[in-house]
Amino acid sequence: MTSDSKDEEMIYGLTVDEHDALQRELRELPDTMPPRAVWQRIREQAEAEGLFKRPMTRRPSTWYAGIGLAAAIAFAALIVPGLNDNLQRDLPTLPENPPTNTTQLTALQALMVESRQLESDLRALPGQPRVRRAGTVATISEIEDRIAAIDYQLNDSGPRLSPGDEEIFWRERVRLMNSLLRLRYAQTQRTAF
Amino acid sequence: MSKFADIQIDQAIIKRAANGDSHAHGILYRAFSTPVYSICLRFTRVPAHAEDLVQETFIEVMRSIGQFRGEAAIGSWIRRIAVTKALMFLRSAWTSRGQSLADDWDDKTPGDAVSHGVSRHPDDALDLDAALQNLPSVSRAVVWLHDVEGYTHKEIAALMGKTESFSKSQLSRAYQRLRPMLTIGREGLAADSAALRSY
Repeated sequence: MTSDSKDEEMIYGLTVDEHDALQRELRELPDTMPPRAVWQRIREQAEAEGLFKRPMTRRPSTWYAGIGLAAAIAFAALIVPGLNDNLQRDLPTLPENPPTNTTQLTALQALMVESRQLESDLRALPGQPRVRRAGTVATISEIEDRIAAIDYQLNDSGPRLSPGDEEIFWRERVRLMNSLLRLRYAQTQRTAF
Repeated sequence: MSKFADIQIDQAIIKRAANGDSHAHGILYRAFSTPVYSICLRFTRVPAHAEDLVQETFIEVMRSIGQFRGEAAIGSWIRRIAVTKALMFLRSAWTSRGQSLADDWDDKTPGDAVSHGVSRHPDDALDLDAALQNLPSVSRAVVWLHDVEGYTHKEIAALMGKTESFSKSQLSRAYQRLRPMLTIGREGLAADSAALRSY
């Protein structure tokens, strides 16, 4: 590129290369997490203004739903051997009062099993490399944070989630676990080469 | 690409949030609170103000999410609320100081870059970050909206109640301040620094 044509491509006093570099470096600046107390303040204001609706409470469980849940747990243990010890630490606790709707239970069952399988796949990857791309680390950290938030909601001791809600949260957990696994795998591949 | 656009949320969670489900709002908050806080902190520079703006933003999300139709990504919609809140805050701050947006540059002299800890021989992103923080509020907001969030001058002008020329002018002045901090073209840094000092 000649200097004349370069001059023609100035962007508000920057060359194209400088402009690209500025945009890239600005986008790589680190984000900052808000203090934890902010969510508490938001919650209090939302409750004071009546912005939250009380979730539907779950009906008492029935004996056949209990059998379904037991089958789900047994199935998970069978296809993912050796997971039982670690999963108690990492995953949300399973509901004490399982949903009464057998269709919902089947969907939940599949999501729980898939989530456990993804946890297993993730643990099978090598540890995170010492040299890492800041953007990837930030994204991984953000996804882990969101998974932790879902786990918190699933373990919340407040009013129990309805079967439909629970399925939504498990589905989101599986989606995030898939994203996390892809990122961690890509990170591993980059380190290998 | 804006960080807001990278975050995807299951439609079912958005629907639950629209129905006032606190759990779903908790998920939205955890997903978007960091980019919202970051942009508010970039605009205001004061953590306490940024925290207030995060609160205002998410309360507005709770009030209005029932009207969210999904034409844009949820992240773009939340970003729009955050940006509007932050600009309203800046506007009120300028108003309380009896200044117009255009006067903002008068508060700053190029020497501020050095006095606020910006190295004249930058070697990492901290220098660009510090230089960005040292820009006048309006210019910092224009740079961030244009170069990070991808807003056009027309959109920025509409948000600020100004003309497109105003937005372009702010960007041009800001670039001249940020240029020495770029990692590219360091070979010309000495000359630029000398020019900056003699300004």
